[in-house]
Amino acid sequence: MAPVLMWLILFLCLLITLAKYTLGAILKWSIPDAKVAKDYGYQPTVSVILPCYNEGRAVYDAIASLSRSDYPNHLFEVIAQDDCSVDDSYRWILEAQRDFTNISISVGRNEVNSGKARSVCNALSRSSAEIVISVDSDCIFDRQAIRELAACFCEEKIGAVGGRVGVRNPNDGVITAIQTLVYYAAFHLYKIPENWTRSVGCISGCLFAVRRELLLKIESVVRERHWFGIPVNQGEDRFMTHLILLEGYGTYTNNDALCWTTVPATPGELFKQQLRWRQSILRDLFFTVRKLPQHVRQLHPNALLHMVLTPLGAIVALLMAITMLAGNPTSWLGPQPLLVYLVIAAVLSWAIRKYSARETLKNPLAFGAYVSWWLVSNLFLTPLALCTMDSRDWGTRGKQEEASLGHNNR
Amino acid sequence: MATTTDKKLAIDIPTGSPDRAGVARAGVGRPGRLQGLAYKGVVRLYRLFAILALYAVLFGVLAYGFVMGFYAINTSWAAPVILSPADDKSLDFTQKLVTSKQSLEDLSLDKKRLESSISEMTEHRASLLALEPELQAAIARERKHNRATGPQLSDLERQKQADNAKTQALMSQVNQLQAGIERDLAAGLITKGDAAAQRVALNQAQTSFTDSRISEVLLTDSILEKTTAHTKSLDVLDKQAELRSEIAQLDIALNLAEKQIREESQQIDRLRQAIATAKQTPYYLSVSGGTRINFAFIPYDNQGSARVGAPVYDCYLDMIACRQVGTVKQIFAGEEHAMHPIFKSDMRGFLIQMDLDHPDSAKSKTVFLGRKPLLF
Repeated sequence: MAPVLMWLILFLCLLITLAKYTLGAILKWSIPDAKVAKDYGYQPTVSVILPCYNEGRAVYDAIASLSRSDYPNHLFEVIAQDDCSVDDSYRWILEAQRDFTNISISVGRNEVNSGKARSVCNALSRSSAEIVISVDSDCIFDRQAIRELAACFCEEKIGAVGGRVGVRNPNDGVITAIQTLVYYAAFHLYKIPENWTRSVGCISGCLFAVRRELLLKIESVVRERHWFGIPVNQGEDRFMTHLILLEGYGTYTNNDALCWTTVPATPGELFKQQLRWRQSILRDLFFTVRKLPQHVRQLHPNALLHMVLTPLGAIVALLMAITMLAGNPTSWLGPQPLLVYLVIAAVLSWAIRKYSARETLKNPLAFGAYVSWWLVSNLFLTPLALCTMDSRDWGTRGKQEEASLGHNNR
Repeated sequence: MATTTDKKLAIDIPTGSPDRAGVARAGVGRPGRLQGLAYKGVVRLYRLFAILALYAVLFGVLAYGFVMGFYAINTSWAAPVILSPADDKSLDFTQKLVTSKQSLEDLSLDKKRLESSISEMTEHRASLLALEPELQAAIARERKHNRATGPQLSDLERQKQADNAKTQALMSQVNQLQAGIERDLAAGLITKGDAAAQRVALNQAQTSFTDSRISEVLLTDSILEKTTAHTKSLDVLDKQAELRSEIAQLDIALNLAEKQIREESQQIDRLRQAIATAKQTPYYLSVSGGTRINFAFIPYDNQGSARVGAPVYDCYLDMIACRQVGTVKQIFAGEEHAMHPIFKSDMRGFLIQMDLDHPDSAKSKTVFLGRKPLLF
C-alpha cells in the first residue's frame, strides 16, 4: 500500500508541476495566444464596488488610490458598501467621499452584518455600469488598473478579468518575504495555463472585474450560498469565478492590472488567512464533484483539470507531509529541500528585482523558511479546513484586530 | 435582506432573491422547512465528527511529537534485529569465513612442507660440513708428506743424474766393444755362442741405461708434484670450494625458508585471531547455531545501558506498559550501522545478544535495557 501511495503522490506532484508551473513558463514565453489582445480604445462604464468591514483608514487609502486612476473619471464610479463595521471605517469612507470629488463615490451600509459576498450584491443594486469591479478595501490600486481590466473585455466571451496582486510589505519579515515570492509565482506561472484557455479558476477578490449583466445573473446564487444552511462568507471570488465559467464565459488574469495588498506578517495571521483559502478551495472541490457532469459538459478540459488540480494539490501536500513524517521524520531537515527552495527563491527574486522592483526582497534567502511553513501548513490546514466548513467569518476581517490581513482567495 | 437566526446552531437561513433558476442551476439556494431540519441534523453530525476528528488530529500530533521527543532524549532503547543465514551480511560473512579457513589450511600445509625442507637441508648441510675438516686434514697430511719426501727425491735425482752421466760415458764404449766382438768372432777367437752372449750383455747394459734415464725423468716428475702446486691439488681445492658453495647455498635456502615460515606463522596467527574474532560475532552465531538467537542494535548514544545481565523490557506502543522479556547475554564489539527505528537516520553502534523469554519481543520495533522507560 505504502509504495502505491508514494508513486501516486510522486505522479500527482509531477502532474501539478508540469501542468501548472512548467506549462505556465512555456506558455508565458512561447504562446502569444495565451494573452488577451487588449483594446485600450474599448472604454465601458465601470462601477468599482468596495465592500468594507473594519478596515479603518485603509479604506480611505484604497479610495484615494482609485481617485488617481487614469481611466476617464466620468466613465467610472466607486460604490463603497460598509458591512456594519464596528470601527471607524464608515467615517473614513464618508471622508473619502468628501475629499475625492474628482470621482463619483456612492456610499451604502448594510442593515446587518452580511459578509463580503452579500455586501457586493447589495452594492450591485446601485450600479448601472457595463463592468463591475469588486475590490478589497485594504488594497492600493495602480493608476492603470481599471484601464487594463476594461481593455480585456474587448473579447466578447470574456466574462471576468482579474488583476495581479502585489505585496506592499515584502520586507516586513520572513513571512512577508515568502508570500511575496509565492504571489509572484502564482500570478506569473501558476495561473498562466488557465489564462491560455480563458479559464482561470479563481480570480482574486482584490481586483475582480466582471460584466454587470453576468454578475446580475449569478447574484442570487452568490447571495444565497450556504453550507447546509450556514451562510458562506468566504471565498466568494473563487465561487463567482466558478459560476461565470459554468455560465459559458471565459475568465482571465491580466498581470498588467495591478493592486497592492498588505500580506500577513505573523504566523497566526498567515495561518488564519491560509485556512480560509483552504476552506474555499475545498468548498470549490465539493461543488465541482457534486456538479461533475455539468462541469464535464460545459467546461474546457483544461479548466476542469485545473479546477481539480488545485484542491488535489492541497490533498497531495497533506499526504506528502504525512508520508514524510511517518517514513523519515527528519528528511525535511536535510539540505535538499532547503537547497531546492533557495534555488527557487534566487530565480524568483531575480525576476522580481527585474520586473517588479517595488517588491524587491532585501533577503530572498528567507524563502528557505518555507520548508517549515510548507510542512506545518500542509499538515494542518487541510484537516482543519475540512473540520471547520461551518465557519462564519467575514473573510479578511473576522475581528477588528485582524486589520492587516490581506485579501480573499486568489 | 431579511435574516433569521437559529442561535442554538448559529445557522442563518437567507431568504435570497427571487431568481430561482440560477439557484437551481448552481445547486444552492434557500432550503425548505424539511430541508432546513435535515441541514440542522447534518450540521450537528458534522460538528460532532469535526470535533472528534480535530481532537484525534490533535492527539495524533501530540502523540507524534511526544514519541519524537521521547526517542530524541531516551538513551536506553535498543532495536531488535533478526539475523538470518540468508541475509546479505551473513552470506558475506560465511563466504569470508570459509575463505579464511581455507587460507589457514593452505598456509599450515605450506608451513609444514617448509619445515620438512628445512630439516632435510639442515641434515645435508651438517653432512657437508662434516666433509670439510676431513678434506682439510687430507690436504694437510699430503702437504706434510710432500714437504718431507720432496727434498729426498731431489737429492736422489741429483745422484741419479750423476749415475746416468757415468753410465752414458761408459755406454759410448759399447760400439768399440761391439766391433771387438765381431773382430774376435771373425778371427775365430771366440765362438759364435760367446759372441751372442757378449752381444746380449751389451744390449742389457744399454737397456738398463735407458731404464735409468726413464727413472730419472719420473723422479723429476715426482719432485715437481711434491714441490709445486700441481693440478691434483687444484682439483682438491676446487672440490673444497664446491663444498663450501653448496653449504652457502643451503644456508641461503634455509634462511629464506625460515623467513617464509616466520611470515606464514604470523599470517596463520592473524588468520586464527581473525577467525577467533569472527566466531565471537553475531553473524557466526547466526550462521552456525541451529537455534534462534536474538540480537539487538544499540546506538553508541545508548552504550551506557548495555551491560551483560541487564534486564530487557518490551513495551506497548513502543514506550508504555512495559514488561521484562529477558536479559542481555552478550555484547559484541564490532561496529554496526543501522537505521534509527523512528527518525530513519543512519546510526552507528553495536549489537548485543539477548536471552529472551518471549521470542515475539524480537519482532518489536524497540526494546529497552536496564529499566522501564516511563516507569510503568
